[in-house]
Amino acid sequence: MSAAATIPGIGRPRRLGRALPGALWALLLLTPAFVSLASVSFYPIVNGLYLSLTNTSLITQEQDFTGFSNYVELWGDPQFWNAWWHTMWFTTASTVLETVIGLGMALILCEAFKGRGLVRAAMLVPWAMPTVVTSKMFGWLFDGQNGIVNHILLNAGLIDQNINWYGSPDTAMTTIIIADVWKTTPFMALLLLTGFQTVPNSLIEAARMDGAKGWITFWYIRLPLLMPTLLIAGLFRALDAFRVFDLVYVLTGGGPADSTETLSTLSYKVLFSTLQFGYGSAVSTAMFITEGIIALIFVVFLVRQIRRAQ
Amino acid sequence: MTDMKKRQTAGSKPVGHVTIADRRQFLIGSAGLLGAAAFGAGTSLGLGRARAQSRAEISFASAAFFGKETFGDLIKAFNESQDRILVKNIELPPPSSSTEVYQGLVQQLARRTGTPDVFSQDVIWIAGFAAAGWALPLDEYFPADKRSAYFTGTLNACTYGGKLTALPWFMDSGMFYYRKDVLEKHGGKVPETWADMAAIAAAAQKAGDIDFGYLWQGKQAEVLVCDAVEIITSNNGAILAPDGKSSLINQKGAVEAIQFLHDTMAASKISPQDVLSWDEEPSRQPFTSGKAMFMRNWSYVYPIAQDAKASQVVDKVGVAPLPSFPGGKSSACLGGYQLGVNANSKQREAAIELLTWLSSTETQHRIALNFGLAPTRPALFQDAQIKKEQPFMASLEKVFTGATARPITPEYAKVTLALQSGISKALVSGNVQAEMDALAAQINKIVG
Repeated sequence: MSAAATIPGIGRPRRLGRALPGALWALLLLTPAFVSLASVSFYPIVNGLYLSLTNTSLITQEQDFTGFSNYVELWGDPQFWNAWWHTMWFTTASTVLETVIGLGMALILCEAFKGRGLVRAAMLVPWAMPTVVTSKMFGWLFDGQNGIVNHILLNAGLIDQNINWYGSPDTAMTTIIIADVWKTTPFMALLLLTGFQTVPNSLIEAARMDGAKGWITFWYIRLPLLMPTLLIAGLFRALDAFRVFDLVYVLTGGGPADSTETLSTLSYKVLFSTLQFGYGSAVSTAMFITEGIIALIFVVFLVRQIRRAQ
Repeated sequence: MTDMKKRQTAGSKPVGHVTIADRRQFLIGSAGLLGAAAFGAGTSLGLGRARAQSRAEISFASAAFFGKETFGDLIKAFNESQDRILVKNIELPPPSSSTEVYQGLVQQLARRTGTPDVFSQDVIWIAGFAAAGWALPLDEYFPADKRSAYFTGTLNACTYGGKLTALPWFMDSGMFYYRKDVLEKHGGKVPETWADMAAIAAAAQKAGDIDFGYLWQGKQAEVLVCDAVEIITSNNGAILAPDGKSSLINQKGAVEAIQFLHDTMAASKISPQDVLSWDEEPSRQPFTSGKAMFMRNWSYVYPIAQDAKASQVVDKVGVAPLPSFPGGKSSACLGGYQLGVNANSKQREAAIELLTWLSSTETQHRIALNFGLAPTRPALFQDAQIKKEQPFMASLEKVFTGATARPITPEYAKVTLALQSGISKALVSGNVQAEMDALAAQINKIVG
């Protein structure tokens, strides 16, 4: 969009493109970008939407247009709703926890202390690790029999017998959320840290001069100014958390008793284990719509923030 | 930016198969080229190009197994053994990525171009490929007298709709591992019924000889279906009716069996609750570190148990057929890869010749020795060389005799997901009858 505004400007292309009207020249220059975006973004979406309206299956070799019947089936499918709620719960819990803890980390990293550069870099290690590795690692940490977590809790007297972290529907999802928080909080902290660095020091100094203590400065100066960054970071994180796959796939496979099934693992099973591309596309489209709604909520808050700032 | 990223990820899934298909096509193509190049190098020495041209060219696709040699070497041996047929080897991903192998095969077969002419398939895909019309019925080439040389359970798994659509190749199955030393203290007799097993396990656990009585796999995954098939069949129950059109999983035999699995955790407590999150490896580890008395697992555990570096139970482990319920017969869930011919193959005779060679006594013998994969011909278990080099494999004949196929239905992929979810729910909640009723209704909807 911004490209479209700048291109018809004055400059060399004008001489070259004298034969072409200005608007056409602009469109021509936009074509490569448009084609590449359309082929990797627009086409897959449209094709996915179309597939979701068919009964395409590699196994039965059917490929007939069936209207909204996949969506009707989806609406009445307890498996789908089960996965939908789990995904929403996972997204909310992990985003909130990661934001709060990340905020704390960012505040610490904002302060000047010896070795800050090193700490800032080291902090990103969990985030840089492949998720499958994280999953395996947490599999061992929370192992029901030999896991260090049970060992520590037992010795500290907090529990009186081993907790079956992944084998019980009550704890399996919580454990996966903990793994995700460990992995992604540094990323949030980094995003929020950049946000804090844009807060003018003069404002904070002025507040201090007026006698504001740390908490007051944070609550009335730094946090409101951080709000747009916070919302954008939260949006990123929520949309990313919504797609959670690796952790679940490696740790529990969706079990026990479907208690950790998320939309990504469900759509993977439907699409690639049963090869029902029609119904699987409907699940994916439902994911897409839900993500759109989440994004919309964030954007509404964001716009309100920006308006208020103006 | 954000919006776009999100749309791509949400939207790219449905058409993922397009890109994967293209990539796979490319990979397969290049694998083929590599194979051809390797073959070229091999033949240019002796046979020469011109002669190779006149041979019937067919292709063979299989998941990649490794041992002292590869399937590529096997195909090379076939190519060198005769001069009428030239086989191109198409290597699919290893069996550990069986979902990818499945996708790769389905994409190839669905094109109906006749490639690959011969392929190997996991036992659970056979019915689906047959129902789709991709697998050539083999009855006329392998009449009853030729079939009797194979295990009955494997033949059953290779049969769909009364027709033989796959030829047995190599197999594995569930089996019962026990600790000889601990059993010695508790009667010394390998239990043959589940109740005996539970009683001995509980006694050993109570005496402090062992931490866990019995280990099995309860993770919501394919292996749970295997464990369930075994115990249900050993109580004369079944998951599907013989015609494959309805489910029997809410009948007495099946419900009792699943109840038994639940009771191992909840009542007799011979199994830790953790089995609900364990597949093969997590259940294998406590056993080979000497913490458990009995375990259900596949044949791969034995070499690990005998490896002093990885195991604390070297020479203390025995293997037997799994127990059964009174009046039932021991049953072992069948695994392994079986051979099929593409119904659209343009070189049918050549394909059958390769198929026959691959499944022959000689080749199965070679696969047993070089890959450690057990033959589907019972006679080979008496073979002196196999007995000498693979003594454990040779001892499994009795176990494999009880091999039972998982539900034979073209809708297996859907049925297994329903089973994994439904059985897991029953095991967690203990409301076995109610969960099995719900599961049966769901399966009836899929297969009915």
